[in-house]
Amino acid sequence: MQLPVMTEQDQREDLRLGDVPMLQEVELVSIDLPVELAEPLLERGVLPGCRICPVRSSPGGDPIVSIDGSLLALRRETAACLCVKLLSSLQDAD
Amino acid sequence: MAEQDLVASGGPATLETPSETPLVALIGPPNSGKTTLFNQLTGLRQKVANYPGVTVEKHVGKVSLADGRTLSLVDLPGVHGFSARTLDERVTRDVLEGKVDGMRSPDALILIVDVTRLENQLMLVEPVLEMGLPTLLVLNMADELEARGGAVNDQALATRLGVDTVRTSARTGSGLDGVRSYLEGVADGGTAGVHVERELSNVPASIALPVVDAFAARRNLVRGIAREADFVPPGPSRLTERLDSLFLHRFMGPLIFLAVVLFVFQSIFTWAVPLMDGIDWMVATSGEWIAGTLPDTWYRSLLVDGVWAGVGSVIIFLPQILILFLFLGILEDSGYMARAAVIADRAMYRVGLQGRAFLPLLSGYACAVPAILAARTIDDERDRLATIFVTPFMTCSARLPVYALLIAAFIPNQPVLGPFMNQRAAVLLGLYGLGILAAVFTAFLLKRTLLKAQPTSFLMELPPYRIPSPRTLMLRLLDRSKIFLRRAGRIIFAVAIVLWTLTQFPRTDAGPPDIEQSALGTIGHVIEPVIEPLGFDWRVGIGIVTSLAAREVIVGTLGTIYGVETADEESVALQEILRRDLEPGAAIGLLVFFAFALQCMSTVAVMRRETAGWKWPLIQFTYMLLLGYVGAFIAFRIF
Repeated sequence: MQLPVMTEQDQREDLRLGDVPMLQEVELVSIDLPVELAEPLLERGVLPGCRICPVRSSPGGDPIVSIDGSLLALRRETAACLCVKLLSSLQDAD
Repeated sequence: MAEQDLVASGGPATLETPSETPLVALIGPPNSGKTTLFNQLTGLRQKVANYPGVTVEKHVGKVSLADGRTLSLVDLPGVHGFSARTLDERVTRDVLEGKVDGMRSPDALILIVDVTRLENQLMLVEPVLEMGLPTLLVLNMADELEARGGAVNDQALATRLGVDTVRTSARTGSGLDGVRSYLEGVADGGTAGVHVERELSNVPASIALPVVDAFAARRNLVRGIAREADFVPPGPSRLTERLDSLFLHRFMGPLIFLAVVLFVFQSIFTWAVPLMDGIDWMVATSGEWIAGTLPDTWYRSLLVDGVWAGVGSVIIFLPQILILFLFLGILEDSGYMARAAVIADRAMYRVGLQGRAFLPLLSGYACAVPAILAARTIDDERDRLATIFVTPFMTCSARLPVYALLIAAFIPNQPVLGPFMNQRAAVLLGLYGLGILAAVFTAFLLKRTLLKAQPTSFLMELPPYRIPSPRTLMLRLLDRSKIFLRRAGRIIFAVAIVLWTLTQFPRTDAGPPDIEQSALGTIGHVIEPVIEPLGFDWRVGIGIVTSLAAREVIVGTLGTIYGVETADEESVALQEILRRDLEPGAAIGLLVFFAFALQCMSTVAVMRRETAGWKWPLIQFTYMLLLGYVGAFIAFRIF
């Protein structure tokens, strides 16, 4: 009875890349996009388990992230589909 | 040259690389320094053509070894993977699999990576090594890795992967000897002599894993390789950080972007003018000289008035195109273009395009032909189609002679905004604005009708800022001018001959007929009823027909029809006759018509190639013609 409620809550609290504050490194959990839109991301190393860090915002308000030493510009619509989690050590510090 | 043309047309019988020279393929992700290395190895001994049936450029060059033997080197498009999602990926895959017509399968491979981003760049290594060909791994930008405090153990990497490795700095040229000695080894081995077709998969074919897992597996493998090779990632590039905080600054970023656009724009129109005048003068003078040396027979007029003047009308745009591509090349190679695309993306996205469309649209102000070619970098096919569909609405320089003539003839030179602007400048600016409006409206319309799609994504890798290599820039300029001259020259050449022929028949006793009695005049009279509602008579009709070849041709045609010697946009005599013959409303209508209608066969031809069929150029031509007709009609009624 309680389990579905919990899951729903988890879903709501589920952190998206777009909500991550600047310079906070996070780990990618899943990509909530159809395969053809996800594949370009996967090829550039944006994979579940990888570490992403928003480093700056474009003048239009779109995120620019650092991943494996490369800079990647995304649209905020894409960033909103990337589920991430805080790295455990940082989570404690927060 | 001839051989190259055959390849460009995709004839199945052409063999670009003779079977006796070994073929080495250069593979690497975008921004790995692949093209710079290619240029350093081959220099001027390279050819650019298209892969058969697709719009991806094929760069093949010859490498001479110290002992005089030669190898063929093919520079494959930069790719992140082999999913064949984009044209570039499909072509790279086809070349590696030996499935390109007229091209042998590669005998050896060079995989080049930007070693400062080793983990990211090694994603290609697994599928490439699976091919089982002799492979050299080039660790490019090794100097930058060290300067930024990174490190990698080449020997461990070589052992782990079972390939040779070489450290290079493609920019300074260090490490090239290592690449050359590898190529000598390839030449020693000779060629397999057989054409092998292989299968290359983006995801391991053996295990039917979901896509994400397959990539994750590859990712883990790469991470393991990097760890075994003691890879220490470099610290962030301070220069890139500092420049980005300026170029992507909330307020400064867009301001610098606008300044860059205006600067490129200004340079096309000011710096190119003396060069264009020079070419104009040379074509005219040499034309007179040819006319003087030839006997007065029928072919003299064909050569001088038809072919020479026609080809001259194309060559004149070369300075603009060269200057444009020089600046675009600098912007691209320095890394700024990627930032410009990011800045432009929001605005472009709103009208149904994307950030990468910015470059082709800017190029469109010089000429739509190279601009449409520049749209190849747009990886989403719908976005690319929408972009090249609206590119001809950008006010290209071929419209300027037409605008200049009509504006000078019909618009009074009176101030509108005090000393800052007069009516003529205002009208010219209005015509530029009209083009942009039409482009925005059309892109918006397309994305809701013919090119309707789920929202696409926009991903742009921002490479570190680098100083462009002059050699690479020059080689690219050479490429661009060759492509432009060959393509445009052929069409203008053919149309010039056809038009000239139409003015020569039916023959009268005294030689060629009056223009009104000629076949061309007849065509003008036939279409007169169609254009009468716009206030145009048969003479303008002929001008519209002839300017199908290229817009500026109408100036010369009207000059011929009215019997004005030396007709150009500054010709006062022509302006006076036009004022007498054309109502002001019709003149405005003609301006609007030229702002919208696709009066350019070179663009149509390029569209056919770039979309691999007649469907898109036909839709585009009809749509733009209708828009031009309706626009001219409205203008004629209002003014």
